[in-house]
Amino acid sequence: MSTIIENLRQFWYFTGFANATWQNFAMIFIGIVFITIAIKKGWEPLLLVPIGFGMIIGNIPMFPGLNIGVYEDGSVLNTLYQGVKQGWYPPLIFLGIGAMTDFSALISQPRLLLIGAAAQTGIFGAYLLALLLGFDPNQAGAIGIIGGADGPTAIFLSSKLAPDLMGAIAVSAYSYMALVPVIQRPIMLALTTKKERLIRMPAPRVVSQKEKIIFPVVGFLLTAFIVPSGLPLLGMLFFGNLLKESGVTRRLAETARGPLIDVVTTLIGLTVGASTQADKFLTGNSLKIFLLGLLSFVIATTVGVLFVKFWNLFLKGDRKINPLIGNAGVSAVPDSARVSEIVGREFDPNNHLLMHAMGPNVAGVIGSAVAAGILLGFLG
Amino acid sequence: MRNYRIFILSILSLLASATLSAQNLTDLLIGEVLVENTCGIEDGFGQRNGWIELFNTSSGTVKFGGCYLSDDKSDLKKYHIPTSDRAAQIGPRQSIVFYASGNATQGTFYTNFQLRKGSTIYLVSNDGRTIIDQVEIPSDLPADCSVVRIPTGIRGMDFVSEISSKPTPGSYNGDVDAKTKSQIMKETDPHGFVLTLIAVLVVFTALIILAFIFGWIGRLNKREKGAPKKVKKVKKAALQEGSMTPEIAAAISMALSQEFGGEVYAAIALALDDYLGGGVHDAESFVITINPTQGSTWADKAQNFRQLPR
Repeated sequence: MSTIIENLRQFWYFTGFANATWQNFAMIFIGIVFITIAIKKGWEPLLLVPIGFGMIIGNIPMFPGLNIGVYEDGSVLNTLYQGVKQGWYPPLIFLGIGAMTDFSALISQPRLLLIGAAAQTGIFGAYLLALLLGFDPNQAGAIGIIGGADGPTAIFLSSKLAPDLMGAIAVSAYSYMALVPVIQRPIMLALTTKKERLIRMPAPRVVSQKEKIIFPVVGFLLTAFIVPSGLPLLGMLFFGNLLKESGVTRRLAETARGPLIDVVTTLIGLTVGASTQADKFLTGNSLKIFLLGLLSFVIATTVGVLFVKFWNLFLKGDRKINPLIGNAGVSAVPDSARVSEIVGREFDPNNHLLMHAMGPNVAGVIGSAVAAGILLGFLG
Repeated sequence: MRNYRIFILSILSLLASATLSAQNLTDLLIGEVLVENTCGIEDGFGQRNGWIELFNTSSGTVKFGGCYLSDDKSDLKKYHIPTSDRAAQIGPRQSIVFYASGNATQGTFYTNFQLRKGSTIYLVSNDGRTIIDQVEIPSDLPADCSVVRIPTGIRGMDFVSEISSKPTPGSYNGDVDAKTKSQIMKETDPHGFVLTLIAVLVVFTALIILAFIFGWIGRLNKREKGAPKKVKKVKKAALQEGSMTPEIAAAISMALSQEFGGEVYAAIALALDDYLGGGVHDAESFVITINPTQGSTWADKAQNFRQLPR
């Protein structure tokens, strides 16, 4: 009898109940909240569901040494986590993004690239604020990239500059990307007048296939020569786009933007979620990171809109730009462009801003990859 | 003809790989040499010999099996590093030590010559002629002091020779206490303004240049479109036929913008058919009617269509 009791007691020590702490339950609760938001509200479900469930997986209390945890060398989760840790999931996602992105809106109105550049100030604003809050420069750089509103870039850079903060940074970036409509709309309305919101922009010209093919090659050469440290992201982004536009690699492009990106998104979401173990995630730093992430989105949106307003001072007639597309400079594709469209149509149902906003939106993808390269070059 | 091409390609590939191999070997250098070892590192046999450290300056692994070490310019093939030894490779920015015991039978990393002050040590490529690197040993080199090549410069890819009283066999010759970039940044730019300014400028510059290039390409494209007379002729012909309607334009546009799926071919066929006068289609009412299916659909015509007509 005593043997049975002893064995049962030993079994009890191996269960999650015996090893649980309140922090574990808190993280599991956050995971469930993520899943609920994704399903009920439909906010970034492809990311929030894997991340949310990953949070639950990563916070199941366990007896250490069983070699199953995400931070235990050689475990299954740890092996899958290497793609995040070594930074090779994000470039694969960029390959898919390149293969699914149509840069026509940008090529037809190249001047809109500047809005994408202006919105990157969110990254550097957050960098300055993070330094002010006492983070080291490498940590501040990793936190700042949240302002790029680009999950893969945030994971890539934080895995290189501040691996300890990666969980909080990734969760923060994806959370605020899901909240883009909530964060950006009030800022756009506060900073624009009714007259400005009604500005109509001429329809973009038709872009030839030749231009679409030249774009990834020239775009890559230029950006990679200026910022070689952004090579993994920029290379994969433009390569994916070349697969799409070349017209002769349809199968490769379909795989990159379909099965491949789906597999990698699933794994990146799940493992990033699993990496948010309570003891590493529930810290004062995580709260600061969430605050800085929010501020970086606010700064990026504000500067984007104000930049267009300032630029309009020098433009005449139909060259003027509707400042409601200023928010789209962050690289949350296509959510922020969609916000421009929705807010624009609130004031003029026939004023479609989506195609115009897609220009700065995809420019934001390039801009944030360039910014990540610069931060990696200086701080890596 | 095809075989001939494959043969040429194979030869070119072999040449390319040989060149790459040679380039890898040039990434090696003699990192440190110590002649008189009285209180330093012991070899695998508990002996204190002079030693030669090789350093890989590249970011990739370099295999050096087949290369030679020598202290005599007239006999560059003095010690042949065994090709068969898998250990004869150095990881990126790593180093490896050869003990100059004078007895090569002790193993791969034991040379058949001992070091002498005033001599020159050569690292020779696997062709036995090309000197990859050489280091002169001063005749007055004190005991337990080494001739060391210290990495300098921002990238740590330039090297200066120094005499060191603290030899570091098999480990990095640079400043092991060197600060990280982040630490340097914290000291030089504590508030982050300089980095911010530079980064914003670089992002803007990159995207402005891109905007200029594509603005220019766009203008060039427009000019090209307007130039050739052939295009005008076709357009005129189309107008004469009376078939260049917005529907045709939309169909062509759809065909061009859809880069996958059988819809492309269908749209192109439809557009060309209309463009060339049409006539093969019945007049359509343009009213879509959906009738609920009654009973089994086993004989339905739609069941005979291939799902993937590619």
